[in-house]
Amino acid sequence: MSAVIEIKDYTWRYLYSPNPALENINLTVHQGEFIGIIGPNGSGKTTLAYSLNGLIPGQYHGIKQGGIKVLGKDVESYPTGALQKSVGVVFSDPEAQFTTMTVEDELVFGMENLGMSIPEIRERLEWVVELTDLSPLMLKPPYEISGGQKQRVALAAVLAMRPPIMVLDEPTSMLDPISRRRIFEVLAKLKREQRNTIIVIEHSLENLVPLADRMVLLHNSHLLLEGETRQFFEQMDLLLEKGLFPPGIMQFFHYLKQQGRYDGYLPVTVAEAAEKLTSLLEPAQEGKQ
Amino acid sequence: MTSPFIEVKHLVYRYPDGTLALDDINLTIDEGEMITFIGQNGSGKTTFSKCLNGLFKPTGGDVIVDGHNSKTTPIVEMVRRVGYVFQNPDHQLFNSTCWDEIAYGPRNIQLAEEEVKERVEEAAHVVGLDKSYFKEHPFFLPKGLRQRVAIASILALRPRVIIVDEPTTGQDAQQSREIMDFLVELNEEHGHAIIIITHDMPIVARYAKRVVALGRGHILADGPTAEVFSHPEILAQTFIEPPQITQLAQRTQDQGFSPGTLTVEEMIAQYQQLTRT
Repeated sequence: MSAVIEIKDYTWRYLYSPNPALENINLTVHQGEFIGIIGPNGSGKTTLAYSLNGLIPGQYHGIKQGGIKVLGKDVESYPTGALQKSVGVVFSDPEAQFTTMTVEDELVFGMENLGMSIPEIRERLEWVVELTDLSPLMLKPPYEISGGQKQRVALAAVLAMRPPIMVLDEPTSMLDPISRRRIFEVLAKLKREQRNTIIVIEHSLENLVPLADRMVLLHNSHLLLEGETRQFFEQMDLLLEKGLFPPGIMQFFHYLKQQGRYDGYLPVTVAEAAEKLTSLLEPAQEGKQ
Repeated sequence: MTSPFIEVKHLVYRYPDGTLALDDINLTIDEGEMITFIGQNGSGKTTFSKCLNGLFKPTGGDVIVDGHNSKTTPIVEMVRRVGYVFQNPDHQLFNSTCWDEIAYGPRNIQLAEEEVKERVEEAAHVVGLDKSYFKEHPFFLPKGLRQRVAIASILALRPRVIIVDEPTTGQDAQQSREIMDFLVELNEEHGHAIIIITHDMPIVARYAKRVVALGRGHILADGPTAEVFSHPEILAQTFIEPPQITQLAQRTQDQGFSPGTLTVEEMIAQYQQLTRT
């Protein structure tokens, strides 16, 4: 597997800020990986997202040490606009990325800027509108629709460009639970079918965990923990201590492990958890009869 | 029996463009209740809230708050009884100091400056906003504090019911619990009825006593949280699914778990019960 992102001894301090927003970060991401980044607010997650698509250091003043390579090249060595073809970022505040007067223009804007042909733009527009269920909103101004709808537009605009690397900063915080799950299903499909590399920053872990190959915990500007998803959550006590709340089913199975009632992997889906719990209880209940 | 604080009877609301947003809503809310409104994006939660505080007048039916029908009562009288805290505090904060922000409501209903002062101090005290912040610009405070200023500005009107629209969006797990614990305190210690609009089902499971599920302009379910979450087929109509721990309990009902299980702690307690020999 080839590395698409290499972060090496990376430190970033915003100008006028006494402490670094990120300090001595080391992380390598391979093509086709799905990475979940979690951590309390203020831990440096969004700064990391900005550092991956060149907003930092391009648009912010600050002091940098170490470096970040995307597709083998230093972030700074890309000409303006070139890096953004490879790395698409969906911001946590959807309004931050709107520039046009209709949802349709918003979705087309990025593709036009990439110089795509009109038939191809049309084809992708249909695909992304279907995928994110936006067809009734196409002619509305993006600032007039609901919070959840804005978030779907922001996501669709980036999906339409199909960047090989996608960084999503709390992409579903305003969505209802089933719309949220559907967005994650879209991401899973992109990873499966097109080998996109996907990095998701999230507070709500229930949908993220089943899809993530690897998890990263940022805390007070440091990378505190990193690992394959199931192994990562074996550090349950550390995560709880740092104020994170892992999915309920994992917490429950962690309890079973502590009690010596279970010794396998922590389940990541409800189906898996139900199956394991059923098989744990069956012998016990037969014994009772 | 005393009559409920809010009575909603056959409420219908159409947007100016004719779209039917709420269709025959019937609901009562008592003083001191803690309720969450859930439902998919666009299900009418926010519109319904705006009908409750008189910002929207019903197209049909009635909203009666503390004996006042919203159709005939001036909005000034309505907002004194039902306060609405915006999803994004930045949409409601517009003064250049926290003091002016909190004083805006009381001044707007033309209270004497003496009483304005008393109410600002009281509201700031309830939300835990230190006096040292009074002269600060609200925009330079972190979001958690901005939200407290937003809530204080509503509290200063001394409403009996406070509607809080998605208070935990964009907050991390710890901050979400702090905000919710604070709302519980307002409810339990100060007696305000609290209505929370949210998509965060683990938060609903942990904090709500009563859940109202809205979908396509109707009330699909209204009852104690455990009971509403026991009917995933109804919730799915409005794009809601219960938290994973509840789903796990529902899938293992045959093993003896309750379909209304809401938290990991409840799940563990049942497991201990089931495996006791």
